[in-house]
Amino acid sequence: MLASLERVSKRYARTDGLRDLTIGFPAGEVVGVLGLNGSGKSTLLKLLAGLLSPTSGAVSALGDLPRRNRGKLVYLGENDSLWSWMRPSDAETFMKGLYGDFDVVRYRSLLDSLAVPRRSTKAMSKGERGRLRLAMALARDAKLYLLDEPLAGIDLLSRERVLQSIVREWHTDETILLSTHEVAEAEGLFDRVLYLREGRLALDARAEDLRSQGRSVVQAFREVLG
Amino acid sequence: MKGFRTLFWLEARRSGAWALALIGSLAFWAWGLYQAYDTTVGIRAILLTMAAVIGAIVLALMIGRLRGETRGGQFQVLLLTPQRGLTHIASRFAFALATASLYYIVLGGLAWWALAMAGGSVPASSAAQLVLALPLYGIATLVAPLLAWTLLLMVFIAAYRVSGTGWIPGTVMILGTPLALRWLISWIDRVCYSLPGWPILGGLQQVGAFVTGTSDGVGLRGTADGVVYVPQEPLWIMLALTVVLLIVASRMWREVEA
Repeated sequence: MLASLERVSKRYARTDGLRDLTIGFPAGEVVGVLGLNGSGKSTLLKLLAGLLSPTSGAVSALGDLPRRNRGKLVYLGENDSLWSWMRPSDAETFMKGLYGDFDVVRYRSLLDSLAVPRRSTKAMSKGERGRLRLAMALARDAKLYLLDEPLAGIDLLSRERVLQSIVREWHTDETILLSTHEVAEAEGLFDRVLYLREGRLALDARAEDLRSQGRSVVQAFREVLG
Repeated sequence: MKGFRTLFWLEARRSGAWALALIGSLAFWAWGLYQAYDTTVGIRAILLTMAAVIGAIVLALMIGRLRGETRGGQFQVLLLTPQRGLTHIASRFAFALATASLYYIVLGGLAWWALAMAGGSVPASSAAQLVLALPLYGIATLVAPLLAWTLLLMVFIAAYRVSGTGWIPGTVMILGTPLALRWLISWIDRVCYSLPGWPILGGLQQVGAFVTGTSDGVGLRGTADGVVYVPQEPLWIMLALTVVLLIVASRMWREVEA
């Protein structure tokens, strides 16, 4: 398994993020992490990224505690997370200086294919900033990609560009976990879907199995979580 | 080293405006000293002390600001980089220290200028000590530990922020520090001048007389012939404390949740 959670619970000050979740992620899957707001999607991705510690249970990513592997996996958070003065060229300096697996050629090509303007993030729209962050993330050569809401708040054309880039850059030995509310647009991407409800796993299904039953990922979403 | 260079560059970009504003504020203090040129040495000393204290506070605020970056997600980005906590902490500390060095050396230059304006004759060796040695001594004994303490406070609060209890370590550190400081000062006072003091500013009678009149046993000590001594012990003790605080902050970096 590339990553796994064993009876993991995460409790915040007043709420539960995840409750007793056991799940594994082998190499070579694109996994949709789906659920309503507050269902635990971001908590799951942050636990795998090593940004959170479980209250109970064990989390493993790339064969070790996620905290020890923070730099080896790719995590794209839901926040804007770039400094306002940063231009794509500054982002390149930043990534090149800190990540040994950062591919400059791929980054520049992604900037072009995602149509990222060469100005500071302060002068970019939310969609442009999102595309820049995705270019930074996908230009790394990692085995595990954790993408939290990469389609949130961006326009239809940008969303298409983002999804195309994810498909183009994915290699069969890599695993991508992608959380999104744009289920209909992203469903063609998924090999497997996890439906979370109130911090628990409501359904873990292969997308192909759903389709063979005559259900789409969106329909299953409505049935399981509606 | 590449990681440190990149993080130092990042720190310079994110805090550059603060550093420039701080260095720019020296023009205000120079103006103040110029206005007070015909007053007693005490008023000029007070102005220089104010500049030194405010400078230290601004430097601490510069490296310790956390709220905006945790909400904006930039702090997450830093936590996810492969570099060790020590590299992150050291790069922030190094940038603040470089800014502090520039600020306090120029402030030493202003002190020299104020003395010259008041008609004091400053020998070359004393001028060098006033502009270089004394500011660097002050940075090592006061500013560097303050910056290290600020970084530890920042990481300590961040480590508990997600669970909603970041205020507890913050309160503990802020309330506990005056007590620890009181104990530390009394300990330094006991050991002060166990080793020979370093003579500085020989020949500056005006400063020597001022220090002799205000000396309280800790820190500078003046003699009747105008030579000022600084003790070695606070320097070594505070440098050691700085290193310990930085190591603890670096170790805690890995535990931070975001």
